[in-house]
Formats: sequence, structure tokens, C-alpha cells
Amino acid sequence: MTAFIVARSLPVLNRAIKQFLSNDLTHQARVIQCVIPSLTQSRFYAAEKKVFDRSKPHCNVGTIGHVDHGKTTLTAAITKVLADQKLAEAKKYQDIDNAPEEKARGITINVAHIEYQTENRHYGHTDCPGHADYIKNMITGAAQMDGGILVVAATDGVMPQTREHLLLAKQIGVDHLVVFINKVDAADKEMVELVEMEIRELMTQMGFDGDNVPIVAGSALCALEGKNPEIGSEAVLKLLKEVDNYIPTPTRELDKPFLLPVEHVYSIPGRGTVVTGRLERGVVKKGNDCEFVGYNKVLKSTVTGVEMFHQILEEAQAGDQVGALVRGVKRDDIKRGMVMAKPGTVKSYDHIESQVYILSKDEGGRTKPFTSYIQLQMFCRTWDCAIQVIVPDKEMVMPGEDSKLILKLLRPMVLEQGQRFTLRDGSQTLGTGVVTKVLPALKENERIQLLEGKKAREKRQAQK
Amino acid sequence: MISSKIFARFVHLQGPCLAAEKSLLATLRKKTGYTFSNCKKALELHNNDIKQAEAWLRQQAQSLGWAKATKLEGRQTSQGLIGLSFNSKNAALVEVNCETDFVARNKEFHKYVEEATLSCLNFAQTQPGDKTIKKISLNSDQMKAFLATDGKSLADHLALMIGTVGENASLKRGLCVKAPSDVHLVGYVHPSGSDGSVLLGKIGGLIALKQLSSKCADLDEIGKKLCQHIVGMNPQKIGTSDDEPAKDKEEEVCLIHQEFLLDDSVTVKEVLDEHEIEVVDFKRLECGGDTVEGVNQPLELIETCQ
Repeated sequence: MTAFIVARSLPVLNRAIKQFLSNDLTHQARVIQCVIPSLTQSRFYAAEKKVFDRSKPHCNVGTIGHVDHGKTTLTAAITKVLADQKLAEAKKYQDIDNAPEEKARGITINVAHIEYQTENRHYGHTDCPGHADYIKNMITGAAQMDGGILVVAATDGVMPQTREHLLLAKQIGVDHLVVFINKVDAADKEMVELVEMEIRELMTQMGFDGDNVPIVAGSALCALEGKNPEIGSEAVLKLLKEVDNYIPTPTRELDKPFLLPVEHVYSIPGRGTVVTGRLERGVVKKGNDCEFVGYNKVLKSTVTGVEMFHQILEEAQAGDQVGALVRGVKRDDIKRGMVMAKPGTVKSYDHIESQVYILSKDEGGRTKPFTSYIQLQMFCRTWDCAIQVIVPDKEMVMPGEDSKLILKLLRPMVLEQGQRFTLRDGSQTLGTGVVTKVLPALKENERIQLLEGKKAREKRQAQK
Repeated sequence: MISSKIFARFVHLQGPCLAAEKSLLATLRKKTGYTFSNCKKALELHNNDIKQAEAWLRQQAQSLGWAKATKLEGRQTSQGLIGLSFNSKNAALVEVNCETDFVARNKEFHKYVEEATLSCLNFAQTQPGDKTIKKISLNSDQMKAFLATDGKSLADHLALMIGTVGENASLKRGLCVKAPSDVHLVGYVHPSGSDGSVLLGKIGGLIALKQLSSKCADLDEIGKKLCQHIVGMNPQKIGTSDDEPAKDKEEEVCLIHQEFLLDDSVTVKEVLDEHEIEVVDFKRLECGGDTVEGVNQPLELIETCQ
């Protein structure tokens, strides 16, 4: 009996069992089916832990703004207003303030993560105290922000550092901002209008769509205290509605064109070449055209079969560890580190701009700073490649700092904007980063220069 | 619904008048940059006379800044910048703290750090010279009393800046160095990016060099590289040839035995020997670092070395 119950968790076997039972032991089967539900239910500890409801699309947002303009109050107000509709758990100001230290990928970040949902979407909400923390959050991808809420107090208006806040949003790739003008209970209509004008002007200046940015005015404090609903809870709900509408839902990995970083390649006599790996995104089916990209090569092929655990799979979905049988390519043509993708969706590059966090000594990084022209090994997906680093805007990079780095790869590899990677020096992890921009491919002479020694480089630079 | 109708009527009736006031408030805010609340208050106090309001605002800015500074006092300031300014004989290193690194990136804050650093450099220049290197540590109160170029004290400027950015800030510590005629001072600040007479960054390094022969033509160039090394490698002392090099190169604390940052095939000693120069003294100041000195130290107490 117990064996049957255990077996029930495997759907394939379950079907077989049912068939077996219905044929011969109909009576017992009924008994078992009565027993099973009660037993299976007890497997979910429903009382202790809630099961995450996946029915709504997920979106990550964050608040940015001046320390005294009420970011934390607004966050607390959002959870309170939504908690009244049973869509969130109300958080106190103190719970959100003093963002706790968190270790994501071994990097210490000060960040507060809060979750709530509206009628339409589920949200992860990020609040960091400083510029460096948002950058670290972006690099580690702890909660990649899809959009942001800029908080400005009506009493103060735009502050000198609001410019820096908007620059940050640009830097971490947040193009969609919704503005909340806070503290309208302490200001009058006229001031609110002027603040709005000012924000639109500044945002346009900083390269945002200032004229069309949704701006909501209200008082987070009133919402939190349950006073003056027209500027309190109603304003917060209006803000959330704008967030729902203005910030686009990120595309799910499953809905993107398929991509499989190759881990191993096998040649199976009589069948052909099989590549294995974890499908990073999309859906692969038998008959799909595909392309192998990497190591300066692009090979076209067709998927003739997809398997998982030696069983035929109708379609593999993002996240599955699969093997794909491919037509017309030899085992030696494909190498670990290449990427199998939908034709035309990926390209290889050898010159990129990136934002990198260099681990401090406490985080396991190195003790010495480094300068331009250092040679490192870059690890990404299943490939690794030697690179040369150029530090564009300072003379050296210290451990524990984030920095913009230009990376020149010795060989073009599959990369894209937003791709995360790790930099290592021998056996030591140096830092982790994210590709921010793809730069024009290296010319032949630049590629040769990558390999020249320090003396030769200095000589060449002296000649210029 | 009803309230919005009432409001619409109100706007309709009061429209032209309101528009005039609005432009006044907008103009005043644009012109002065002070907060909306203060601009409004200024207009209310002076019957919408923009000239008087502006004059009042400028006059009040100082006291408003002080009010804000007093209100925010006590809030932790862990971010900030190091300002460094030097010529071959005098140098000043100053640390100014603020609450968030957003402010540390702002021009208003930069301006203030520059002002403070130049005041300290000015102070160093007025000190009498000596035969040895003179290092004067300054604490917050000593620096606050210094006068900036416009005659206002650094404390007043600090309050003004706090009023503008709306965040707490503090003058943490300062160091003035005066070198005798045969010693040359060079400084470097990381991350380097700012030009001009004051360098701004997170970590500052200052080195005092003595030429042993006329071989080294460009002391500034090699000095900057050595400062970069000091900033990057954080040596604890210069060290003499009596000091044994540490067994683990990573843990070497003597400057002369450390591998040179910009070329790890040589040690700092070899670099010094090659250029026939000597390091007389060095100083490294990291933003947010512990205040080891400069606390409650009377101005007369002057530290000298060698």
C-alpha cells in the first residue's frame, strides 16, 4: 500500500497503477483512491506555509528617491492598502527600514525585498539605501528591476540629487518610471502642479519620456494612518494602477526563442549527434530548425528528437535538462560552450562594455587592486574564455568596488545585453558582472594586440 | 465628485489670479532653487513681491540651513568623499561625510568638499616652515572655524549645503602637511576622475619624496605612481632595510618590501633605488575609515617626524 502511495507521485506509474487496479482489483482500488487524497493532502503543509500562486504575471519594481521623501512610508502604505484587500501582508515601517544585509552570490547587499500583488500582477518590491547597493542588486540579479517608482516630496520638489537618482535608473536599465509626489497633505494644489512640471522637465532632460510619465500625487502617511482616503489609500491605489499599466510585464523565459547552452556532445552510433544541457529558455520540439553558435562558428541544423532521462519528450521547456538529437552535424563540430538556439536569435561578440562588482577580501576576492590590461578568464553559461580588461574611467579598480569595465575576448562568444558572468584569475574568483552594452567587433590588429606583452604595448603606445 | 465640481468652479473663478501667483512661485523656485515650501512662505510674507521674497530667502538660507542641520544632526553619515589638494610644499587632505552615496556624487557636495580642502591648504600655507615635515591633524571643530574664500566659515557653508541637499553631512577630519625645501609632496586620489586643483575620491594618498641625486627628472610622475601604490596596497609603515620582508607577500605591510602595484616584478624599494629617491613619509586616508587621530587634539599639538 505504501508503495502505491509513493508511486502515485510519479504520474507515469500512476497511470499504470490505475490501469492495473481497474482491471483486477476494482474494489481495492476504490479503497486506495479514498485513502490517497487524504494522504497526499497531508504532504502539503498547508497550515504552515502558503503555496505560491503563479496565476498572475510577476514583475519587479523598486523605489528610488531622497531619504526624507517617504520611500519607506510609501512601501509600507502600499502593503497596508493592499492588505486591506487581502492582496498583501501589511509591513510596518520599521520592518522595511534599515534594509537588512543580504548575501546574494556571495556579495553583501543592503536591500529590503517585499512582495505584494494587485488585481493584475504579482510584485517584488526592492528598496536599497544607496547607489552602490542598487548596482550590486543589478549585477547579482537578486531582483532585476523591471520598473521603478520615483518618490518626490511636494514640499521640497526636485532635489539636487534627484538627478543622481535618475542617472542610477538609467544605469541599471530601468526605462519605465512612475512618479509619486508625496506629502501633498503638507502642500497645496499649486505646489503639486509645479513639482509635477519640474519633474517632467528634469526627466525629459535626463532622457526619459518626461511628458508621458505617469505622475500620481498623494500622501503615503495618510494612507498608512488610514486618514483622508482621497489623498491616502485612493492615491496609493491609483499609483499601483499606473504601475500596472505603465511598467511592461517582462517576457517570461518560457516565451522567449529557445536557447540551450551545450554542456556535452555525444555521438550515438546509428542515431547521430546528441547535445545535452539545460534549456535556458523557450520550448524545443522535434523538427525545430536550430543554429549552433560559438568559437567563431555558426552551424545550421534541425532538431530530430528531444529526450529527458532517456525518455522521449514531446517538447522540452525552459528549465529542463535535456538531450537533443541533431541532424547533419558531427560530434567534433560542436563543443561545450557553444549555444544551440533558434536561428538568427543569438550572435557572438568579442568586445563588450560591462558593469562588474569586484569581490572584497572578506567576500573571497583578491586583496590587490588591478589596472587596465589585466588578463582574466571569463565564465559564462557553459563557456569560458580569456579576456583582456580595460578600466575606462579610473586608473585602477579596488576590491569591494563596482566598476564599468571594457572586456575584450580572445574569441567571439555568444553574449547579449543583460548576460551575467563571472571573472576569475587562476583559481580565484575576482568578481561578477553583467553585460551592459555590446561594442563593435575587434579589428584584426586589435585582436593581435590582445596577445602582446607589456613591453611591446608600452613601446607601441610611446610611438603614437 | 461634488468636491471636484466645487474645485473646478473655484479654478474657473480664481483662474487668472492663481496663474499669476503660480508663475511667481515657479520663477522664484527656478531662480533660487530653495524648496517649494520656503519659496511659498517667502512670497506670502512679502505680499508676492518677488524681489523682496528673493532677498529674504537668500538672507534666510543660512538660518534655514542651520535649522535643517540641527534637525538632521545625529543621523549617521557613512558615505562621503576625500578631498586632496597639494602643491610641492603644502598639502591638505579632508574627509567630508554624507548619508547616501547619491549625494556624494552630486555637484553641490563636490563644491563643498573643494571649498573645505582649499581652506585647509590655505591654512597649511600660512603655517611657518620647518626643517622637518610638519603634519597637522585637524578635527571637525577646528576645520569648521576656517574661513572659505567668500569670508564665510566652513560651518556656515556646511549648513547651507545641508539645507540644499536635505541630508545630514559632516566635516570629519583633515590633515595639513608642510614640507621643507628639499622634500617634494605628491598626492593621488582614487577613483581619479576629477581634474582641477582639488582631487576628489574615496581614498587619498599623499607621499613626501626626497631626491638623492638629480637623476629623477619627473618627481610628480613617479610620486603619483607611488601614491597609487599606497592607496591600493595600504602599507602600514615605510620600513627600513632592518625590517625582514614578510614570508607571505600578500601580508607585507612595509612599503619598501611590497611588490610594486603597477609592475609586480619589482619591489617598491627597487623602484626607489632606480630613481634614486627616498620616501620621507606617506599618509593614506580612506573615506569611512576609523578616526585614529585628530580627535580632541589641540591645534598647537603638531606631529613631526624624522
